[in-house]
Amino acid sequence: MIAAFDELLGRQVSMRALALLRVLAGPIVLLHLRPFLADSLEGRTYGDAFHEQYADWYPELPEPVYIGLLWLAAIAAVAMTLGVFVRLATTTTFAIVTYNLFLSTTHFHNNRAYLVIVLGLLAAAPTDREQGPAWPLWLLRFEASAVYAASGLSKLVDPDWFGGTVTWQRVVRARDDLEAWPLPDWVVRVLTDRDFHTGAAKVIVLTELFIAAGLWLRPTRYLAVWVAVVFHVMIEVSASVQVFSFLAIAVLVVWAVPSTRDRVIRIDPQRRLGSVVRRLDWLARFRVEPSDAGRPAEVVDRDGTTLRGAPAVAFVFSRLPVTAWFTLPTLLLPSVRRARTR
Amino acid sequence: MGSRVRVVARRIVVVAVVAAQLFFVARGYWSDHKEFGFQMFPESSTWRADVVRVTDDGRRVPVQVPWAGYRWHELVPDLGLSYPSVRRHATAGLDNQLAFLESALDWVASNTPRDHETLYLEARVTSWHNADEPEVSVIRSPMRE
Repeated sequence: MIAAFDELLGRQVSMRALALLRVLAGPIVLLHLRPFLADSLEGRTYGDAFHEQYADWYPELPEPVYIGLLWLAAIAAVAMTLGVFVRLATTTTFAIVTYNLFLSTTHFHNNRAYLVIVLGLLAAAPTDREQGPAWPLWLLRFEASAVYAASGLSKLVDPDWFGGTVTWQRVVRARDDLEAWPLPDWVVRVLTDRDFHTGAAKVIVLTELFIAAGLWLRPTRYLAVWVAVVFHVMIEVSASVQVFSFLAIAVLVVWAVPSTRDRVIRIDPQRRLGSVVRRLDWLARFRVEPSDAGRPAEVVDRDGTTLRGAPAVAFVFSRLPVTAWFTLPTLLLPSVRRARTR
Repeated sequence: MGSRVRVVARRIVVVAVVAAQLFFVARGYWSDHKEFGFQMFPESSTWRADVVRVTDDGRRVPVQVPWAGYRWHELVPDLGLSYPSVRRHATAGLDNQLAFLESALDWVASNTPRDHETLYLEARVTSWHNADEPEVSVIRSPMRE
């Protein structure tokens, strides 16, 4: 049992997903640092107003050094994204963002805690190599799932939440904002109706729990990813959550199977599809091979099944990070499902 | 690092991270601040408070009135605390919000050296936990020296 556990953690896997997450994390860190940097430009820091230390022994730096560190973190975040001195840049970003978070209880928000976790695991992973041990990926998957599970569970056990009181009151209090949107009256009436929230709250809670569990299971993983994107877009539109939506969507890439070039796509070299796939296949999921001129595109999946023509194209785009969300639903079409052959 | 040491270290790190995360999730159910507890949008609770300075001659002066060159909203600009007399949503829950209010009173009491007349700060808080009836509580900073 322990040997199997060790093998699981130490197994060499593709670092592509973590490298892509590292690239995406840079701008997210900049977005996170923006208010701190903006304050620093006006000569303000956390020390000038109410703050509360976690522990007396926690080191507080002189203001110029603290501000210098914030800017160093911003530079490191850019380097992290560009792939310059990757390990040093990622570790530096993680160290400074973490130091800043723990300077004061007032700095703490869920999205920042999640950012620190993600940066810590990125710093621990050799994202500058093609392959590395699996344990940072496993931990990141655990943390990603834990965020949804913890949030969903806290709502499930709270009768006010699960019964709809919390969402109903929040929407009713924001009715003025709601009415400022270009929404039909009946939509506003439905959204502010108490009975609607009795059902809607349960949908929200079960959605979070479904994402938490569904990400782990292969048959439900793509659906969970798809639902998670919708969920975060809706949160971003309706609430102020700092960098949480961007981070949570970016982290979804860690659920890609960590192996590379294990699917084959055969394309007529004259078609642009080949170059599009090469450009967008950031997780290196496809081996692109030339086919005879005029032949339709053909994809061979990991399990040996084959798709040809439009279903093959739909399948390919459903496996590329940027296009996956838009094309995944097309895989449910009967014509695409029937197109799989052994 | 030897292979065996690396394997054991890896095992320890993974188990420690998982255990710590589970602990913090559980701790979210009793802690005010719920760090790493990931309880999102926990309540629809609201609160407001009348915050006053109690001076050495017995006056109770609202903090909305600037004093000794200080302004409350500049001392406490974040976390929904800058205008406490306005009823607001307790974004991360009532316990969290009132813990911050209490800490803010303490911080202001001990970081306003030009103020030579205030004995302590006091907040009379009205809070509405979700749809419950309002509750009133009083929070005070320590006596200033």
